[in-house]
Amino acid sequence: MESEVLEKSGKTVVLLGNEAIARGAMEAGVGVVAAYPGTPSSEVPVTMAGIAKKIGFYFEYSSNEKVAFETAAGAAWSGVRALTTVKHFGLNVAADSVSPVAYVGVKGGFVIMVADDPNGWSSAQSEQDTRYYARMFKIPMFEPSNPQECLDFTKKCFDISEEFEMPVFLRTTTKVSHSIGSVKLGKIKSPNRRGHFEKSDRYYNLRPKLQEMHQAIDKKLDGICKKYSKVFNTIEAGKGNIGIIASGVSYGYAKELMHVLNLKVPLAKVGLSFPLSTEFISKFIKGKKEVLILEELESVLESEINAIAKNVNPKIIVHGKDILPNYGEYTLELLAPAFEKIFKKKLGINFKKQQKMVKKVDENLPPRKPVFCPGCPHRSTFYAVKQVYGDNAIYAGDVGCYVLGIFEPYKTIDFMISMGASLGLAHGISRVSAQDIVAFIGDSTFFHAGLPALANLKFNDGTSPLIVVLDNSVTAMTGHQPHPGTGRTGMGDITEKIKIEDVAKAMGAEVRVANAFNQKQLIETIKEMRKMKGLRVLVSRGECRLVTKRKFEKQGIPLPVFEIDPEKCVDCEKYANTFACPAITKVKDTKGGEPKYEIDPDLCLGCGVCMQVYPKGAIRVKKVNKK
Amino acid sequence: MSFSVMLTGVGGEGVLTTGVLLARAANLDNYYVRGVQLHGLAQRGGTIPTFVRFGKENEVYSPAIMQTDADLILAFEPLEAIRATYYASKKKTTFVINDSPYMPIYGNLMKLSYPTKKEVLKRISPFSRDVFMFKASEMGEKQFGKTLFGNIIILGFAVGHGLLPLSKEAIRKAIKATVPRSVDLNLKAFESGIKYGKGIEKIID
Repeated sequence: MESEVLEKSGKTVVLLGNEAIARGAMEAGVGVVAAYPGTPSSEVPVTMAGIAKKIGFYFEYSSNEKVAFETAAGAAWSGVRALTTVKHFGLNVAADSVSPVAYVGVKGGFVIMVADDPNGWSSAQSEQDTRYYARMFKIPMFEPSNPQECLDFTKKCFDISEEFEMPVFLRTTTKVSHSIGSVKLGKIKSPNRRGHFEKSDRYYNLRPKLQEMHQAIDKKLDGICKKYSKVFNTIEAGKGNIGIIASGVSYGYAKELMHVLNLKVPLAKVGLSFPLSTEFISKFIKGKKEVLILEELESVLESEINAIAKNVNPKIIVHGKDILPNYGEYTLELLAPAFEKIFKKKLGINFKKQQKMVKKVDENLPPRKPVFCPGCPHRSTFYAVKQVYGDNAIYAGDVGCYVLGIFEPYKTIDFMISMGASLGLAHGISRVSAQDIVAFIGDSTFFHAGLPALANLKFNDGTSPLIVVLDNSVTAMTGHQPHPGTGRTGMGDITEKIKIEDVAKAMGAEVRVANAFNQKQLIETIKEMRKMKGLRVLVSRGECRLVTKRKFEKQGIPLPVFEIDPEKCVDCEKYANTFACPAITKVKDTKGGEPKYEIDPDLCLGCGVCMQVYPKGAIRVKKVNKK
Repeated sequence: MSFSVMLTGVGGEGVLTTGVLLARAANLDNYYVRGVQLHGLAQRGGTIPTFVRFGKENEVYSPAIMQTDADLILAFEPLEAIRATYYASKKKTTFVINDSPYMPIYGNLMKLSYPTKKEVLKRISPFSRDVFMFKASEMGEKQFGKTLFGNIIILGFAVGHGLLPLSKEAIRKAIKATVPRSVDLNLKAFESGIKYGKGIEKIID
């Protein structure tokens, strides 16, 4: 699908929120973009990687978010406009450097785009609310509510960052980043990517200067609040003494519900959520009887508004998390009853009754949980590990496509905490328990946060768990981005590959490399390594089959396709249910007899692992696939 | 006037692309467009609904469709059509369903059976004013060599049958902008979908 992100100025096109952010950065003349992919922020770097050379800015996928942040900050120190993009957890990785950079400030505009993920669409681990970071780090935070604002805010953020010489946060949530909408485009500015670092005592963040710097940040925040609250925060006048204050996507929900309920009440939109302007809030809540705060996740604005109300309008009733949840996402149907109650209006839809009806028709439907793709090398590696280690070993998981191993029938992921955490957690367990442990980590994750943990294992652990690097040679989960082991940069240039086995050997590990699509080799190697002691790393290498498929298609080479011989497929159901490849589908249940299985040639990606797993002769190469 | 379309299906079936195509067509017809793609982990073999809403600028604000409030649901897979009933109602919603069942692997693991067409229609009936269910993938493969053309046939059917208030010209332009690699076949599939929608040619059901 071709993006319209490079369409001409003045045109109105449909963009994804994240594409609009990319466009906004280009309209601001961004010179350096550095990121580690993390959904729901991934589409910003994905959009920018492909066009960096054409527009003339520098782009890189860094090895992790902290390095990406520092890369962008270094460029901004040298006077070049810079952008880094992270998902909420990505900001945790970068966090160590963020606060000090806020203290010393920047010269070129520096925007940190951060995408929260309420409801966990793309993130398993938690519903972290990043707005607390703005307060902790004392960095202003701007929150667009739709794709047009994604573009406009991004552009303005660069100016404000430069004007006040401090980094700024542009915060979205999934429903802003992944929303689509009409966007009027401005002019793309030719990027300046040449800068100069000037030595200066502004970078000496040591006491007693530290306290001066601390005060200086507060002054800057005051300045931004005074000058820009009226630009980013708006009041739409209305009737009555009950008002609404909304921020982010909730503003769209508020407007929609006001439209369908024919409500004309006062509405305030908060686009600059930190620092929250006391003046703006005071003006809005003065004289009102009640106010409804709409913000997803924690009661961040609500707490601050309550504090302001104490001075300005202590009798006002502030609604928010008293009637709405601080978990998951808001939806129109979730907010509608709150609107009906507070504004005494009737929408006339019985959502609860309809939900009951839906629950009934959904009963006993085959669930569509995410599964390993056909041809996935992780399926093969997990299958082999399970043959050797069985069900009782502890399987430490990490972040990547392989989290899908948490589901039936594999159950080869017992927990997943954060990037690189499998090694540290496995180490901790092994210090106090004699249980068998296998720690899985992906190739991109290995470079991201696995290296310090590996060093620690060598340093402190004589009987380390078996470490299996699931090397599919790409950052697959977020859309096939390159990493230090792929030999290609974010801008598509060739670079020297760092081999995982070389790194592991250099850290003193006993290393084996196995072909992830070769069951026999995998099982033999795992058996051998299970008996070994000390730091040992198995690199199970097999390219993500989706990448292979694209490569083959480009070169016009057909992938092999396999087929089942129903006569020879004894106990076929058992294999179908334990190997669980979506390309192997049940065609019919013969009455009383065994169900028959077939390989769907449209889905099969020809990895050939099923042929090794199923009874001998049950699966054979079918024909040449001409797709 | 505002109009809400939900597109749903299984990851890899072209739901996202068809959603963008529809949004672009609405934009070309000078509507204000909002929508959202609900993807993430679920992309791999999971359900991926997309919402596209369009109307006058001061009538469309939310990117997501409200429960019960979809005008049109284009379902590229029958199970996902059933799961879309959350956004549907007897009063408002028309379904166009591609009768191309894709049994999820967990269905086999849990020994659940895939509902028959009759059962699908029965489950959807309380949530719809009208349902059209036909073998669009099979028609796409027979006529144009690929099941994926079923999506455009579905879209054409909706236009031909007067279920989607967008101009044919805008959709044609959006096809050119969105799927430039196989424009001709997609345009043909669209025209053929219109004929099915108008009842000029018979669908395979």
